[in-house]
Amino acid sequence: MVTGLTFLALLPELVAVGFLILVLMVGVFFQRSIGLVAALAALGALAVFGSAAGLLAAGFSGEFFGGGFVVDNFALYFKLIVAGSAFFAVLAAARWSGGTGDAPEYLTLIFSVVLGSILLVSMRDLFGIFLAIELATIPSYAMVAFDRRRQESAEGGMKYLITGVVASSVLLYGIVLIYGVTGSALLSDVSQTFSGSLTPVALLGLVLLLSGFAFKVSAAPFHFWTPDAYQGAPTSAAAFLSVAPKAATFAVLLRILLEGMPEARPTWTVLVAVVAILSMFVGNLYALRQTNVRRMLAYSSVAHSGYVLAAFAALQGAGVATAVQAVLIYSAAYALMNLGAFFVIELVGDTAKSFNGLFKTRPGLAAAMLVFMASLVGIPPFGGFFGKLWVILANAQAATTLTYVVVGALVLNSVLSVPYYFGVIRSMFIEEPVVDADTGGPKENDSGVRLSIFVLAAATALFAFFVGPLAALAGASGLL
Amino acid sequence: MITTITVFFPLLGAILLLLLPEEERPLRYAALAVAAVPLLLTLYIYFAYGSGLEVPSLTQDFTWIGSLDIGYRVGLDGLGFGMFFLTALLTLIAVVASYDVRENLKQYFAILFIAEVGMLGVFASEDLILFYIFFEITLIPMYLLVGIWGDENRRQAAIKFFVYTFLGSTVMLAGFLAFGILAGTYAMESLTSGGGLGRTAQIAVAAPILFGLLIKVPAVPLHGWLLDVYVSSPISTNVVLSGILPKLGTYGLIKVAIPLLPQGVQPFLPYLAAFGVINIVYGAFVAFLQPDLKALVAYSSIGTLGFILLGAASGNAVGLNGAVLQQVTHGLYSALLFVLVGVIATRTGTRKVSELGGLAARMPWAGGLLVLGAMAAMGLPGLAVFVSEFMSIMGGYDAFPVQGVLAALGIVLSAMYLLYMLARVVFGPIERPAYEAVEDAGPMEMAAAVPLAVLLVLFGVFPALLISVQRPGVEAVISAIGGG
Repeated sequence: MVTGLTFLALLPELVAVGFLILVLMVGVFFQRSIGLVAALAALGALAVFGSAAGLLAAGFSGEFFGGGFVVDNFALYFKLIVAGSAFFAVLAAARWSGGTGDAPEYLTLIFSVVLGSILLVSMRDLFGIFLAIELATIPSYAMVAFDRRRQESAEGGMKYLITGVVASSVLLYGIVLIYGVTGSALLSDVSQTFSGSLTPVALLGLVLLLSGFAFKVSAAPFHFWTPDAYQGAPTSAAAFLSVAPKAATFAVLLRILLEGMPEARPTWTVLVAVVAILSMFVGNLYALRQTNVRRMLAYSSVAHSGYVLAAFAALQGAGVATAVQAVLIYSAAYALMNLGAFFVIELVGDTAKSFNGLFKTRPGLAAAMLVFMASLVGIPPFGGFFGKLWVILANAQAATTLTYVVVGALVLNSVLSVPYYFGVIRSMFIEEPVVDADTGGPKENDSGVRLSIFVLAAATALFAFFVGPLAALAGASGLL
Repeated sequence: MITTITVFFPLLGAILLLLLPEEERPLRYAALAVAAVPLLLTLYIYFAYGSGLEVPSLTQDFTWIGSLDIGYRVGLDGLGFGMFFLTALLTLIAVVASYDVRENLKQYFAILFIAEVGMLGVFASEDLILFYIFFEITLIPMYLLVGIWGDENRRQAAIKFFVYTFLGSTVMLAGFLAFGILAGTYAMESLTSGGGLGRTAQIAVAAPILFGLLIKVPAVPLHGWLLDVYVSSPISTNVVLSGILPKLGTYGLIKVAIPLLPQGVQPFLPYLAAFGVINIVYGAFVAFLQPDLKALVAYSSIGTLGFILLGAASGNAVGLNGAVLQQVTHGLYSALLFVLVGVIATRTGTRKVSELGGLAARMPWAGGLLVLGAMAAMGLPGLAVFVSEFMSIMGGYDAFPVQGVLAALGIVLSAMYLLYMLARVVFGPIERPAYEAVEDAGPMEMAAAVPLAVLLVLFGVFPALLISVQRPGVEAVISAIGGG
């Protein structure tokens, strides 16, 4: 039954579709006015954010389309993260994409990813999930390859496309196997089958499904596309893709595991924990060896996927509630700090040398980057600390041998990550400015990017004020 | 409310300073004004409340994360007040003594004030998570102060400091989290005497907490980060670095580890006292060998921290009072010595003990104050350190006779190297012709040193000024130990 309520439930998605078309059409008819297109896109992101926030404030919840589409606090919260990140991505992309001459197309791609991601977090049907993931992923290949002036962009896009297609096939294969075992793709039906001991086919389906998801969130050992894609991609694309679709993917994975296979917990907590620990070590150890800051951030995003997945290991016993909170809080904190860090690269350059002496030449920017780097390490009172704190708390509450191992790995990796994040801080604050070095040319002073950086830095620094409400929100989410 | 205002005022001050134009004199005056406010507020608290600090107007309790019972809980008690006062005082002294900082002055003060927020916050926290957060807030500012304004060795010094103390505090956090999860709350008040944990659980929780705190102090086998950092820092950073930062560790022992986990800490106490003795003896011996005056003062500072460990480990009223008092007196004398080392180094161009000599003739004020500071450091009666060291040793001897006797011997050792240093540096013939022309400490340098010297004498003669305030806090610790 499609009622008025259904339209309300789909409001963020409908708004996104509307602006997607609008941005593209306005771009066709007013080819010169890039400012108008960008303003429209930014407005669109805010409108999606606003509609999701409105639904959240009104306490709207319900199931639609035969239970395949659900609106609850949990889903709405992630829609907020996606829309918020999109807003900053649009701000950061406005001037750059204007320079390419294809601004409307690029901004439309961002909106397609937004649409796929916000649909994704509401899906309760495995095939719907697959479609939404593809809706978010396919435009992202184009986003990565969008910078035609740089060859690495095309190379990154190509690598991303090929590995992404393989990942999608693996994911689909897993979904089909699960569907074959259960006879239904609805998570509520799947949970009937995934009880007791798993059949080999079901287990294979689960493993393939998790592998597919690991590809999508760039968790080790399926992370190898990440550095090339992020290095080649335009900065706004790398920044946006590393936070928004990933957060949505984590959210839906959480939903699949908690709603679709709660009884198979002993199996998947182990699987996820292994992937998590592997991602932390691989991400951090490779990040330590990078001299290019953008590549370093790419490996750091692998490590951070590991930290988020570490929360999944705690989805057992007394740790479930805190683990869900951890995924929520971590995703929000990571979106703020990682977007910010990428944007600083956009203004400063991506070789380690280009950061030298930034404190003396551009103190405000250096202070903002300090906040992002310290937050990525997990130093209080910045956002990243609260993310890690919640992951550790959840694992400690779950209190199994597995979760203690996960906590140990997480603490060890936090210390391990200090040198490379602090390498950037050292360059900025301790080294002298490099005169006349090849830093990829002086960057133009893009006010949209600058504004985003300072807003994001402030939000990261004041995260302590958001953490209480966020934790309360998770307590009221539909998953628990 | 007034506690919160005092803690966060420096942050506001830091932001205001950053908005000021880049002119040296107005900046210095503005920084002085900012630094004076917390000190005045602290003095107001002292005169208005004195020994009755635990009143609602000084405490605040907001739930922060209800499901985990983490709260913004702050208050002042006898244990923290002395350090709260010292933090405000030494930050002001550091601003006065910042004449050796010339570049990026604005940022220097702003970072110093952010560090002050963390330090004041630690001494006012009544919640474990809040304690940890404030504890860590000092980390990056200190890294930057050493890293940006330190000498040529600053890179290694800064990162070494960071990695060591970050490792320590992360381990400590693990202990805090385990404690909170087992007890169901992070409010220190409800956690007193173990918060319902059994002995084994308390020991398991106490071990990582003690490890983290002892790195911060640093207790001797864990002190690897210290020398580079102290020697590389600018003088005004040294004032804070040696005067306050180690106390985050010792204060954690006295405020968190001992009263909250009395049974868990109990098996470690003899070792804690032994660590204290090792600090005292090791610090004295190594200080004796230092060719560099600043390194000598750094090791002297490590050494006398040992008395705090000893007094805290004693678990009796005399020892604990001594430890709490020693935290303050140690800060006063080490800050004084570092300021004077700075004066001597800038005048003579060297910090080598062997190259100095006969400064008393040319620098009577600086030389005289150095004598006073050294006398304080060796625990001469009439100066504040004597009272606190004596009480620590008495209390320590009661609980652990062997450690107590060895600590008393440590005083003799410290007298040896300090007198040797004075004989070389201050007295004797003038070592180099160039020293004939050196000038005495200037007005700013005197403004930094004299208040410290005055307070050393004042608290030496009237220790009750501080002890009367701290006594209720110490009694609470004693009853927590008994209740465990």
